[in-house]
Amino acid sequence: MDKSRTSDQGKDQGMELEGLLAQAPPPQAPAWFAAKTLARLRQEKEEDRKTVSAWMKWRWVWAAGTAAVVAGWVLWNRPDPSVEISDAMVFAALDALVEQEEENRWWAGL
Amino acid sequence: MAKDGPTRALQELKNAELFGVMPEELSDGELMSRVASGDEEAFRQLIERHQDRVYGTTARMMGGGGPEAEEVAQDIFLRVWRSAGTYRQEGRFVTWLMTVARNQIFTRMGQRKRRKDIDREDVVDPETGESFMENQADPKMRMASEALSGKELERAVEEACAELPENQRLVVHLRQYEGLEFEEIGKITGMSLTAVKALMFRARETLKKKLSGYLTASK
Repeated sequence: MDKSRTSDQGKDQGMELEGLLAQAPPPQAPAWFAAKTLARLRQEKEEDRKTVSAWMKWRWVWAAGTAAVVAGWVLWNRPDPSVEISDAMVFAALDALVEQEEENRWWAGL
Repeated sequence: MAKDGPTRALQELKNAELFGVMPEELSDGELMSRVASGDEEAFRQLIERHQDRVYGTTARMMGGGGPEAEEVAQDIFLRVWRSAGTYRQEGRFVTWLMTVARNQIFTRMGQRKRRKDIDREDVVDPETGESFMENQADPKMRMASEALSGKELERAVEEACAELPENQRLVVHLRQYEGLEFEEIGKITGMSLTAVKALMFRARETLKKKLSGYLTASK
């Protein structure tokens, strides 16, 4: 086949294809599109506002709950003053141990 | 809610005083600045200016107009509203808008593809293992049986475009119908100039083959 003829045919096909594509334009937006989009925007804004106001409505409950949890944690981890052992108590316990040991040795005849 | 009307009217009046011009006289970039400050009238203007472009691209990419295409086109504009604050006036607004559109459309198409896969699994007969889908009439066959009408050519072009791979379809649409430059298409699709041109070439070759029946030069 003649090479130049093939190239011309390709060009012609290209032009024709453009013409074909031009005959099938994409659809246009419906007339109500802008109004519907704005309505959706307002609806979403309203939903966002409702979510925020719901949070604000319950803010005292959330605050009280958080405060209770923090207070509970602090109380739970507070050092217990009743388990403090004085030096005198330690020495007394040691003396008692020594005394017991001596008594045991006497009874054993050592 | 009752306060919304007067509040909005006041806001519009304040904007008009601030900018001194009506929204229809403003450029896309100026409209976007207004949208970023929450001006719904500017947003309406922006939608009306670009709705055919966005809806047309969505419809072409998703295989036809209808409620789903409309919903996706609305999603695109709502994304524009939310991203208005981050919009920078570098390059044409249309390039930025079509990038947003592309991301939204591809996300939806991905979701649709996954859903379709699940649906396809559902339609297999558990006893025989036969797919009900196979027994459905081929849409092409249905087309052939339909009487030839003035819309036949339009439908053939639409079908041929719909059968192209997603990226090729988008490139053809942006170039052919939106008249964008290859550089802009590259920015939108995130591809190099050479890749875009190669895609366009391949798409045109495929379309030529598919529509050869309508091309007199091929006869």
